[in-house]
Amino acid sequence: MKTDKLSILLLVAVALAALAGCALPTAPAASSGAEAGAGSAPVEVKIWHMEQPPHRVERIQQLIDEFNAANPGIVVSQEPQNWGEIYTKAPAAVAAGNAPELLFAIPDFTPILNRLGKVQPMEEFVAEMDALYSFYPSAVEPYTYDDHTWAVPLYNMAHSMWYRKSVFAEAGITPPTTWDELLVAVEALTQEGQYGIGLPANKQLYTDQVVYDFMVNAGADEIYNEDGTLRFNNPQTVEAYDFYRQLYQFSPPDSPNWTWGEAEACFANRTCAIIPQFTVITTYDTQAEGDPEDLGVMAIPHSSNVDASGTIAYSNAVMLLTEDPAKQAAAQEFLRFLLTPGNYGRFLNMEPGLFLPVTEAGSQDESFWNDPLAVKYQSQLETMVENAKNGRLFGFTNGNTFPSIAAISAQNLVAQTAQLVVIDGLSAADAVAEGQRLMEEALAE
Amino acid sequence: MAIHTSRPTAHKDPRPKGQFVRWRGRSLLGYCFVAPLLLWLAATILYPLGSAVVLSLQNVQIIGTSGTFVGLENYLRLLSSHNFWQAFGRSMVWVLGNALLQTLAAFTAALILNQRFPGQRFARIWIILSWIVPTVVVVILWRWLLSSSGVLNYLLVWTGVWREPIGFFGTANAATLSVIAINSWRWFPFMAVTVLAALQSIPSDLNEAAAVDGANAQQRFWQITLPLLQPVLFVLGLVGTLLSFNVFDVIWLLTGGGPSNATTTLPVLIYETAFAQYRLSQAAAISVLSGLALLLFAALFIRFMSPPQEDEP
Repeated sequence: MKTDKLSILLLVAVALAALAGCALPTAPAASSGAEAGAGSAPVEVKIWHMEQPPHRVERIQQLIDEFNAANPGIVVSQEPQNWGEIYTKAPAAVAAGNAPELLFAIPDFTPILNRLGKVQPMEEFVAEMDALYSFYPSAVEPYTYDDHTWAVPLYNMAHSMWYRKSVFAEAGITPPTTWDELLVAVEALTQEGQYGIGLPANKQLYTDQVVYDFMVNAGADEIYNEDGTLRFNNPQTVEAYDFYRQLYQFSPPDSPNWTWGEAEACFANRTCAIIPQFTVITTYDTQAEGDPEDLGVMAIPHSSNVDASGTIAYSNAVMLLTEDPAKQAAAQEFLRFLLTPGNYGRFLNMEPGLFLPVTEAGSQDESFWNDPLAVKYQSQLETMVENAKNGRLFGFTNGNTFPSIAAISAQNLVAQTAQLVVIDGLSAADAVAEGQRLMEEALAE
Repeated sequence: MAIHTSRPTAHKDPRPKGQFVRWRGRSLLGYCFVAPLLLWLAATILYPLGSAVVLSLQNVQIIGTSGTFVGLENYLRLLSSHNFWQAFGRSMVWVLGNALLQTLAAFTAALILNQRFPGQRFARIWIILSWIVPTVVVVILWRWLLSSSGVLNYLLVWTGVWREPIGFFGTANAATLSVIAINSWRWFPFMAVTVLAALQSIPSDLNEAAAVDGANAQQRFWQITLPLLQPVLFVLGLVGTLLSFNVFDVIWLLTGGGPSNATTTLPVLIYETAFAQYRLSQAAAISVLSGLALLLFAALFIRFMSPPQEDEP
């Protein structure tokens, strides 16, 4: 009995000691907070971006290191994320109080964060940068609503069609400009070991983008009416989805699982003759032939009902998520550094040919055009810049901004509609009608 | 031929009543030892569970925002939702498919590894490789193997077995079969190792005696091996089903629930509802319903599939 009592006493003592151990660190924490308050510690700015490939992370890190060296009172750090998870992770981080100070965004992502009330208005900072470097209005517009500008534009991206000139020549094909020509070309290019075109059918952002390319080129770029009601279900959209179905027959069988990387790999290893993509320059240069004379890029062909080619184009931006004035000032200082000509060109060239300038000054920045890859693939870059001029983005067309597009975009409903056509075998008309119903349901929530 | 397979029986506590006080003291000590664990479990399981139930009765949308009390609205909506019942059906297919494949693979592997052959020790270690490799590596490996330009498609076309590459994740049926096969490949070693351990605990003299009596291998398996494995199979059946039902990572990383929702099981639906559709309370309601379904399954399984209790003397 004595032994049992002793054991119980020992157990209680150990438990108390453990609790005391847990409690002990709280005292010094107060003093460290006081030190930080005294201003001796540098201001930390954490950036989340979705530019995951190692060479992009490396280029951003170079710029961060330069900035940190020149600004001893500020420590900027990066944490690369991915687009597949950021719609989940960012709201959770904001809710948990772990959000980064700066978060990269596309127009339809900003409204989601905005609902949580943490996105800081940036119109004053944007005006300051505009006075210095002159923003393209189309880059700022998608982020301007509810009397504020909610993000600072950083770079533009637009889709083009990529191909090999030698492959076209071998098949006796000239670059198509219309859908009829494209269909003929894709059919001719589908040979043993080669698919005519690589089209995604994943319920994911890449599919949203590629499908929208075809919607733009069918004249269905407007998803909303002027009054904010949906007009997704219209003959032009049906035409776009029907054409997608026809082309999809010449795409690899695993494309329902694709994101951007798989499409680029398919092009690089010559399994796909054509792919729609923002750029393939780095992959082509490092993992394929790297012959600038053979790499072809063209505008996305259009329907005969439309006069000229268009494409999806994103103005990518960065949101400020902190309410701490010191962190706000530090984050803005870093953005000033980033947008300064000389730095800005190097920032854009983290993926040469993918990121296009959003400022006048940026488009003339020598550091943008002097990059070795930019020099090597200059003609492709010029074509991309030309294609980007006819860029559109669903929910942000013709000067209108509909933040509710975030609900449609987050659920990838444009892509889901494509799946109804190419996987479930619904007619384009039925699928588009169902797509509109799903969108209305999403907006009603 | 009657073969008795019952094990030595348990005996009643032989302690005289004079030792009751001492027993009670030990019992108290036992409670003290398990108390921290029980408190920890309450904090990490009961609290989140309670929070999920509360959340399911509200209309919270994005994580971090607040909502109002809506009663059973989320549940009523789910019970009349086509998507919910479809996901439930896919979860059933997923669980049954995995159970079937994993049981077959595990039994085959365990029976082979229970034999004596050169390299047996190496094989026993090698078999658990797929189980210890991180999920993300397994997924990348299989996505690469099964891609249209992957090794498997190359072999199928090169050997003339198939005319052109197969889209293993391209159609609803192919994707369902592929994810079940990959998940089974990942998890069957756990079951195989457990069955192997149970096989090795069966006294060899039972088999030898049966063989002397003229029982062939098949009879020995059905009359000796299988009945003696029943307690282990019961635990594996229960735990395996519960674990399998809740698998999310393999499906999400392989197909994201596609194509066209073909692999959207309940855990995937919960994730999509919470973090793509931003209907957090509705996702909580699906979680609660899933939890209740699993609880019901566990109760029925224990009630009807428990191995028979050994007789008291």
